[in-house]
Formats: sequence, structure tokens, C-alpha cells
Amino acid sequence: MAITRRDLIFNIAKAGVPAAVAMTGGARVLQAEETPLPSTPVGLLYDASLCIGCKACEAACNEANNTPVDTTADQLHQAPPDLNVLTRNIIKLYKPENGSPSSFVKRQCMQCFDPACAAGCPFQALHKDPESGIVKWDGGKCIGCRYCTIACPYEVPRFQWQGFNPVVTKCELCSHRLAKGLKPGCSSVCPTGAVIFGPRTVLLAEAKRRIKKNPGRYYQDRVYGETDNGGTQALYLSRVPFEKLGLPELGPESVPSRTLRWQKRVYSYFALPAMLYVGLVQVIRKNLKGHEQEAHELEKETGLRAQL
Amino acid sequence: MSSAMITTAPITIKPTTVNKTSVRWERAVPVYGVSVVNPFLLVLLSLALVALLLAAYRELVGLGPVSGMNDMFGWGIWKTFNVVVLTAWGSGAFAVGIGAWVFGRKRLHSLMRMALLTSLLAYACGLFLLGVDVGRPWNFYWILFPWKWNLHSPMAEVAICMSVYAAIPLALENLPPVLERLWHFDPRLRPGVERVERGLYKFFPWIIALAYLLPAMHQSSLGALMLLAGQRVHPLWQTPFLPLLYLGAAAFMSFGCVAATTMLCCMVWKRAMDMDVLEDAARVTTWLIFGCLSLRVLDVLFRGALGTAFHANRFAGIFWLETLLISYGGWLLLRSLRTHSTRTMYVGYALSSLGGVIYRFSPTTLAYMPSPTAKYFPSTIELLIAFGFVSMGIAGFLVIVKLFAILPAPAQDWRDMASYFKLRRPYVRWTKYFNFGFFGDTEPTDFD
Repeated sequence: MAITRRDLIFNIAKAGVPAAVAMTGGARVLQAEETPLPSTPVGLLYDASLCIGCKACEAACNEANNTPVDTTADQLHQAPPDLNVLTRNIIKLYKPENGSPSSFVKRQCMQCFDPACAAGCPFQALHKDPESGIVKWDGGKCIGCRYCTIACPYEVPRFQWQGFNPVVTKCELCSHRLAKGLKPGCSSVCPTGAVIFGPRTVLLAEAKRRIKKNPGRYYQDRVYGETDNGGTQALYLSRVPFEKLGLPELGPESVPSRTLRWQKRVYSYFALPAMLYVGLVQVIRKNLKGHEQEAHELEKETGLRAQL
Repeated sequence: MSSAMITTAPITIKPTTVNKTSVRWERAVPVYGVSVVNPFLLVLLSLALVALLLAAYRELVGLGPVSGMNDMFGWGIWKTFNVVVLTAWGSGAFAVGIGAWVFGRKRLHSLMRMALLTSLLAYACGLFLLGVDVGRPWNFYWILFPWKWNLHSPMAEVAICMSVYAAIPLALENLPPVLERLWHFDPRLRPGVERVERGLYKFFPWIIALAYLLPAMHQSSLGALMLLAGQRVHPLWQTPFLPLLYLGAAAFMSFGCVAATTMLCCMVWKRAMDMDVLEDAARVTTWLIFGCLSLRVLDVLFRGALGTAFHANRFAGIFWLETLLISYGGWLLLRSLRTHSTRTMYVGYALSSLGGVIYRFSPTTLAYMPSPTAKYFPSTIELLIAFGFVSMGIAGFLVIVKLFAILPAPAQDWRDMASYFKLRRPYVRWTKYFNFGFFGDTEPTDFD
């Protein structure tokens, strides 16, 4: 047994040298490899302090996406409790018990720079558009595993629970309208300009201008999404803490790059698994010979056909 | 019947402190002398049938009406129990195989066929149910286009690796008992069978090595799945070491599954146990259990999450239940090595595996907290389908151990079986292990 174990180490080492060299050589490439940024990212800027909660954007969203209205709450009003397969966009109200300032919040896909949903999606059904940066869903590649609903830190993608051909819905920034030169449904109807659409750089500059103009008006004088979760294309301004609006503090590093770091490293260029495989074959080959021999000896001893 | 036997191999009888006589497992022998179809099997099959019918209904109406899954809990027990937990039990081909083939613990070879069969069944049932669980299974054909894989996704890793593993290396590893049955079944098949066997064994090292690499990858990726869920998994479970811990849990749970199932079979069908093999397996399992436990405890300690284990909530309760079950089970296994008591050993396997089940089940379900109001409890139909698929696996096991040489036994049992069938020749012409029209051509014929 001692010999086998030593063989294992030796063989893995032998097979591993070139592989390890290849891997360390590639490590620099690996570190430089970051999620490519979209060339012309577009997004939304939502200023919660301007929102009056009229929900015009909700209705406009359903209309723009040609989706029936979710009236399950009372069979009359469009009042879904949360995002769902019919609701890509929702206005919620944060109202603390103690009478401190309340705030509306518009929730839709954040269009992250490094989307966790796409990082988890097995066959790239959810993918980031290289130009606009919009995270789109491709029904031809989705296997319906619902990993996106687990992975998204904002809990945005929604799965259709009814029917034999379920879809995954999320805000895709009305990309079909953008193609026609129109704005997304929500931003085109907002009466107070609480949500505006534009190139992300322009929106970010506008948000910073608002902060500069009214110092102290916004929470931490900060734009949520500038760096949060590696940067998002939907940007938020708010008077109340972002966490209260369902925007968790995730830090500047994106969720996938933070959590899948080892996963990526271990499987980079498939070097480590390949190295392990070659080592395993070597050891097993040797053990198979011994085992076969023993089986044949047992065959002679018992007169019964050898089993492997 | 016993007077009709001859013994060519010396049978080692090792006295132990318990009143069990230990024998030496030399070869796999089918379970003979009991009927394949019995009321228990029929119950299992009807449960499986119900599950299949309900699964067909689910394909029509969607997941919502048949399950407790919702927007917050997108995964139900079909994934989190039948796939994540049961394939851990079904990792025997991986864990026991590594012990036998890589680390050269030769006595473990006698457990290999049990390990391979339980693995194949657990994976087959798990993957089949995964096909029922996913919403758009027809898109699975993308597995054929590697350039469309998202290589960084743990889900892709799991989906691709598991299917490839079960379909290729694991299936090929399970071929020897089938070929062997054909060989014994009809002498006319022998040249063909031997040719196939030679070809198979030529590539065996490559096949076996793949059968260890792939499970190592996907069993750890099952843990990596929940890394992306971040803070929504309770800090007692959410750790960068999840992949390694999942792999470790799979290792000790599958040792438990293989050894305990073998022991259970020996008890049910009154077959002798080889305490050398069982104790070797128990020794490896104790090492695995204490390795896993110490990694788990150190990880919780160094991440500073230990404080949350003393909060009065269900998460702390689950944590302690799981840890105590695993460590008590491990301790019982350790004790069984001293007392040579099969009972202690069996209970040790059962408890540690149960703890492992809770551990593997926690990050996805018990300790997953997407929002304070989110709730998930499996619906009746969901439970029926989940247990139906488990019954399918158990039914398959019960049939296969009676038709193929899976369970280990002393070589003498094989001769006993031959005598048994010879006596009942008119009834067992082709339904059982030998076709006696041809039996005796190359076998020792001096049974009577």
C-alpha cells in the first residue's frame, strides 16, 4: 500500500509538471481576464426622492412588453405583491413603523456589469449584450433550471410556474423598443422624471450632479450601482438606506467574481483536472494489473470464473 | 443439500467477540432462492408508477400546481433532496472506488459491485427526476455543443458532468456483472462476451479514472451551486469551502450507504458478513467523518460564524443536530472497530449518514433564507413524485441483486447456488442465473 501511495504522488507529479507550468503561465492571463464591459451601456436612473408611486410605469411596462396585467390580488386592480412572471417592473413602498421618512422604490433588473444570473446559467440562455449591456433571456437555450432565481442577489428573474412551456422573465430594458428608437416603457411615462433612460455615463453624471447640487439629500451622497456588485446599469438615488429598498450592500466586487473565484481557477484551461486524470490513470493501470492477477489466482484456487 | 458440496477453498473462520462468524468475501453471488416479485416490490413499483403518472401530469400543467415551489424558493426537494442529497449517497462508486483502486485498499474491492450499482441507480433516478424538475428539458440538447457551455457555471458543471458520468464511465463500470451473466447464461455467447471483456478491460484504467474525476468535479460543484446565493444562505453553511465539504460529505455518506446497505442485505437474506472488509470500510469512514467534521468546525470558527450557532433559532438547532449526528455516528463506528459489533457499526453508519443528509440538505433548503416571509414546504404531489423515484431505485436494486452477481459472499455460496439450481432445474430453466441446459460445460460438475 505504501508503494501505491508513493506511486500516486510520483505519477501525479510527473504528469503534473508540464500542466502546472502551463497553468502558472496562464495565471497572469487569468487575472487580467475580467468580464468584458459593454461598449455602449445603457441604463436607468431612478431617483426615489422624486417618485410619487403612481405606478404608471408598471402599467406601461406590461403594455410595452405585451404582457397581460396581473390582477390576482383582488381580480380588479393591477396590484402584484412582488415581481413575477407578469411583472417585470414594480413600485414598492418602504414605510418604517417609527415614522421616519418613507420611500417608494422601483424594482426591475439591475443589468449588472457582471450578472450573477448569466454567470450561473448553464447554456448561456441569460447573456449580456456586448453593446448595450442588456441582460437578455434566450428561450432556445434555457433548460428551466431556475438557477438564475437563486443566483441573482436582487432576486429579479422570475420563472413561470404554470404551463408546459414556462418562460423566465425579467426586465430587458424594452430592447425591442430601443431598436425602434423608442425609450423603455417605464421611463417614457414617468410624470416626475423619477426614472430616466440613457447611456450609463450620462446617467451617472446626472446622478452626481444631483448629489452635488443637494448635498446631504441623498443617502451617503452615493449612487447605488456605480460600483456596487461590480457596477450596474440601473442606478439608484435614495434618501433612505438602500438596504431598506431591497438593494443589498454587496461591495464593489461582483458576486460571481467574489464567489466563483476558486471555481474559475480550478477549472482554468482544464489543467488541474487533466493533470489529476493522467495521474489517476497511471495509478489505476498499475493496480488493475495486480487486481487481475489476484482474481486469476483466486480462480485457480476456487475453480470458479474470475470476477473483476 | 449441504452434504452434496465439496470445498476446494479453505474458509477462514475468525472468532470475534460477538456471536457472528466472520467469513471471507471472495466473489459476488446473486441472491438466490427468493422470488424476484414479492408484495414489497409490488408496493415499490406501484409507488413508482404513481410518480410517473404524476410526473406526466406535471409536464402538462407546469411546476406551480404540483409543487410547493414559488418565486422565492425556486428549488424544491426534487433538486435539493433527490439530486443533491441522494447522489451523495450514490457516490459509492467514486469514494469506495478510490479507496480500492487508487489507495490500494484491496479488500474494498468486494464492496465495489454494490457501490457501482447503488451509484448507478441513485444517479439514474436523480437525473431522471432532474429532467422532470427543469422547466424546459427539451433544450438539454445544448449539452452536445461544448462551445455553448458556460464553463464557469456550477450548474453547467453539475448538469453536464453528472449526465456524462452516469451515461459513460459509470455505465461501463457496471458492465462486468452483465457480461458475466451472459457468459454463464449460454456457452454460445462466451467467445463474444470474452472479446467484449478484453476490450473493456483494456480501456478500464481510463474509464475508471474518468469515473473518479467527474464525480469529484460535480460533487464539489453541487456545493459551489450555493456560493452564488451569497448572504441568503445562513453563515453557518455559507463558506468558500462548500465545494470541499460537499465532496467530503459525499465520501463518508456513500461509504455508509454501500457498507450499511450490504450489511442490511446480509441480514435480510441471511448471508455471512466479512468483518475484515466491513471494518476496513468503517475505518476509512471514520477518517473521512473526522476529516470533514474538523474542516467544518475550523471553517465555522475561523469565519467567526460560531456565535450564530448559539442563537436560539432553527438554524442553530439544525447545525447542532447535524454535527452531533455525524460525530456520534463516527464515534459509534470507531467503537465498532474495537467491539466488532455489527449492530454498533450499522447504527454508526445510519446516524452519520443521516447527519450528512441534513448537511447536504441545509444550504439549499433548511438554511436558505431568501426573505423573512419566504416559505417552502413540498406539496403532496411533490412528495409522492420524490418518493416514487426513490422507490424506483430501490425496486431496481431489489431486482438486480437477484438477477446479477452483486452482493459479496464466500466462494462456497456460489457452489451452494449451483447445487440449489441444479436441484430445481425444471423451474429455473432460464429465469435465474444459469441456463442449465448448458451448465457444466466449463464449470466444475462434481456437485452431486
